[in-house]
Amino acid sequence: MENSRRHFLKNTCALVAGVSVYPLSGNNAEMEPEINNIKYALLHDESKCIGCNACVEACREVNHVPEGVTRLSIEKTGPFGEYPNQYYHFSRHSCEHCENAPCVTVCPTGAAFIDKETGIVAVNADRCVGCLYCIAACPYEVRFINPVTKTADKCDFCRETNLKEGKQPACVEACPTKALVFGNLKDPESELVARLKANPTERYKQSLGTRPKIFRIKARQGEIIL
Amino acid sequence: MSAFHFDTLVWHWPIAIYLFLAGVSAGAMFFAVMLKHGCLKGKAYQSGFVQAACVVAAISVLAGLGVLVLDLTKPLHFWKILVFYNPMSVMSMGVIILMLYQVFMYAWIVITFKQPIDDLCKKRLPIVGKLTSVIARYEAGITGLLVIFSVSLGAYTGFLLSAQPHFPMWNTGVLPLLFLASGLSSGAAASLLGGVLLKGNPNGAEVRFIHKIEIPLILGEILLMFTFFLGLVFSGGQSKVAAFNAIGVGFWGFIFWFGIMGLGLSAPLAMNLFMTATSKRKFSYVAGTACLSLLGVILLRNFILYTGQMTVS
Ligand code: SF4
Ligand code: SF4
Ligand code: SF4
Repeated sequence: MENSRRHFLKNTCALVAGVSVYPLSGNNAEMEPEINNIKYALLHDESKCIGCNACVEACREVNHVPEGVTRLSIEKTGPFGEYPNQYYHFSRHSCEHCENAPCVTVCPTGAAFIDKETGIVAVNADRCVGCLYCIAACPYEVRFINPVTKTADKCDFCRETNLKEGKQPACVEACPTKALVFGNLKDPESELVARLKANPTERYKQSLGTRPKIFRIKARQGEIIL
Repeated sequence: MSAFHFDTLVWHWPIAIYLFLAGVSAGAMFFAVMLKHGCLKGKAYQSGFVQAACVVAAISVLAGLGVLVLDLTKPLHFWKILVFYNPMSVMSMGVIILMLYQVFMYAWIVITFKQPIDDLCKKRLPIVGKLTSVIARYEAGITGLLVIFSVSLGAYTGFLLSAQPHFPMWNTGVLPLLFLASGLSSGAAASLLGGVLLKGNPNGAEVRFIHKIEIPLILGEILLMFTFFLGLVFSGGQSKVAAFNAIGVGFWGFIFWFGIMGLGLSAPLAMNLFMTATSKRKFSYVAGTACLSLLGVILLRNFILYTGQMTVS
């Protein structure tokens, strides 16, 4: 009796240990080289952005985003500087297509996933049950429930729309000042890579280990803010 | 910023209720096993406290799942959680734990109540007796696994929140331990309350046994609470901001100090010590103390759920 109990304990411990190590090994697989040579990213040159919101409207139209929610917004801060040389800062708020995406990690059904071919983080609407776990877990607060489909939704670099048609994402096409540059990080010839190499850029909340793929060129500060 | 409505709020009170119910179930089952094996042995099925613990555990886990499903934006698609799994997702793992936990829970209940079940079915359904005998052969294994799964379930309620880098107050390893401890004590409280309501003797061996475990458990909870908040403060940055936002002045600060630390932990601790010291265990004392503990745990779940979402990383 004693013996069998000890045996049982030993086996269960091994089982529990095995189960808890399993996800770690899955994690390593993620680090392996991708099948394809595409890894999409986006650069927002804030020094060129004029806050016209053309990108927001284009996205709504192309991706049929209902009123009341949005995949993309331009946040305005300021004014900075002294009159008459005053200006605003604009920063883009949308999915960062994290390499290590918390939304993908937490999603119980695999509805939130990383497309291995392109590095795009997307949502499989069919699989989504609407548990809101991904919305709570995303450190960038860019996910929402689409009021029409009742499904988690967010920017997917127009994966289902413009990209399929061989076009640039809607926001990039719409921008009048060319403040948005979309491209493949693995293509050394691309404008994106050239711009990223030539300019100091910033990525948000890197300390969380999410490895986001929206890069930002900052506008001049004009003021000292502590 | 109002206490129940703010911009960064994603998960509302139904999740707190779900976490509470899952914790109660895990705790009640844990104490049912402890009562049977540490105190009552084969006579367990006659005890009102064991009966209460089993009823509470079975109902609350189902109710918890019900709340969770109804809270989905697509409740009719809930079966997809059962069919598709993501080994990286705490929620997915939790669903597996919940399912296996229920299997072992029912098996254990059948074994424990084998005598009355067999008696009931002897005449008309003798096959049931054979079935229960088969299950009873694996009692040791089922009991061990049930304990493991009930503890896992209790801890899971915390891991569900702590897996999120977005909210620094949740993103700590102490939270699962805190929720486990409070889940166990809520299970004990629910069993005691149900037990005395089912005409269990408030001065019975079961009550004394549970009190013996409950006192160190409450002390442990207070210690974990202390570690939890001190850890957040020492982490600095947004974790520190989150901690002070939560337990500082305001509605939730009041809930924490008066509702959780006062009514939910200190008062039951004092009552348990008093009952142990004087051996005066009356129906009203036992039931009142249990109600306070349960209230404290419901408040704690809501407090952590809401205040955790107030401060982002
Ligand atoms: S920004 Fe949020 S939604 Fe986008 S990949 Fe990262 S965690 Fe997911
Ligand atoms: S809401 Fe949908 S996409 Fe988000 S975690 Fe739940 S199932 Fe996954
Ligand atoms: S369209 Fe271009 S300039 Fe206009 S808000 Fe968007 S990024 Fe800025």
